[in-house]
Amino acid sequence: MRYADFGPHDIVLLLNGLGVSLTLFLTTSLVGVVLGALLAVVRYYRVLVARELVTFVTEMLKNSPVLVQLFLVFFGIPALFKIDVTPFEAAFFTLALNTAAFVYVIVVSAVESIDREQIEAGRVFGLTRWQVLRHVIAPQAVAFATGPLTALLVNQLQVTSLISVIGVVDLTKVGDILNMRTLKPFIVWTVVGVLYYLAAKIIALAGGFVERRLTAHSAWKGL
Amino acid sequence: MNLIVSDLAPHIALLAQGALLTVEVCVLALAGAVVVGAAIAMMRASGSRLLRGIATVYVDIFRNIPFLVQLFFFYYGLPELGIYVDAFATGVLALSIAGGAFASDVIRSGILAIDPGIVEAAQVYGLSRRTTFLKIVMPIALRLSVRPLGSVLINLILTSSILSTITLNELTGSAKIVASQTFRPFEVYAVLLLAYASLTYLLSIAIARFHRRLNRGVLEAV
Repeated sequence: MRYADFGPHDIVLLLNGLGVSLTLFLTTSLVGVVLGALLAVVRYYRVLVARELVTFVTEMLKNSPVLVQLFLVFFGIPALFKIDVTPFEAAFFTLALNTAAFVYVIVVSAVESIDREQIEAGRVFGLTRWQVLRHVIAPQAVAFATGPLTALLVNQLQVTSLISVIGVVDLTKVGDILNMRTLKPFIVWTVVGVLYYLAAKIIALAGGFVERRLTAHSAWKGL
Repeated sequence: MNLIVSDLAPHIALLAQGALLTVEVCVLALAGAVVVGAAIAMMRASGSRLLRGIATVYVDIFRNIPFLVQLFFFYYGLPELGIYVDAFATGVLALSIAGGAFASDVIRSGILAIDPGIVEAAQVYGLSRRTTFLKIVMPIALRLSVRPLGSVLINLILTSSILSTITLNELTGSAKIVASQTFRPFEVYAVLLLAYASLTYLLSIAIARFHRRLNRGVLEAV
């Protein structure tokens, strides 16, 4: 006999899946943001060759399907190097790099939004390059980048659903399991969709809050 | 570790077939997305609060729920409603609906970018609201939206790889078959990644040129 009804345990299963999705999302976003910012700094310091290499790799990551990137890491790398890669590791690695590629572009344009004169003025006043980066560039660049970064993170949350295809039991995979067992696609995928939607809204709200705080100094205060 | 790309040579035909299917899906989905997008953009630009509300909710929902979840909703849900369509039709439908949410933003900003003087001139000439919208506003808005619609198309191409999960053997789906036949997953997916990246890159150049050509008069005036 097939156990086709929804039970209280399904809620635990869904929350488990949501937890896996959010954990992967938060950790890969953190790693991706840090890595993307570091790559942008490499560009700022004009390291030879590194700049071209970074541009090539980020363009590749931005212009190919995440699903193909996941397959390359999960099926390709173990076959080529004869190593074991768990689905979770492959998902983490791919998503972190993918996020870094998009963060890199955002950070580069944020840094470029700052007037050159400010950097030159800082140098003339005797600040070191690090001090210019820390006290002149970083605060303004962070404020500038928060908006696009929030949009990116909302998008990356949805990209995490793809890891279900390589076997990570995230929210989408749980939905798949429940769908196969209960054969009630409308209920299952609506619930899964609502959970993703709420998570996306929370990220957008948090991003909006941070952006307002960081740009408060330049907000319109009236004449 | 040894890299052998030549093993893929016998399977080029299968991959080409997959690529063709990807092109078919994307062209149809682009057409669908523009139609849906234009309708939603019209609703968002309309005076009726109800229509504006519906359009906003539509865009909000389809932009904030993962495409994979939307796809499964349609793929498993449609037969439940007694609509039996194959993976191809389901894929085109899902891509059009999701792409429409993105296209509506583009077309809406195209509508908002139109000089109010043009619309006023049309009204002075005594054209009806309908004619003004369909014959004056829409052509200019769509022409101005060629480049951003191109980014929507590129996004559709990348997103269409997800259709391989509902058994549609487009480019990514056929690459999966080749990978399991040749036991060379790294080479297959590396080539696939390069193919997608160079395709979308060439396409973005072509779209930028097309955009400049179509908007010659408009852009020179600015």
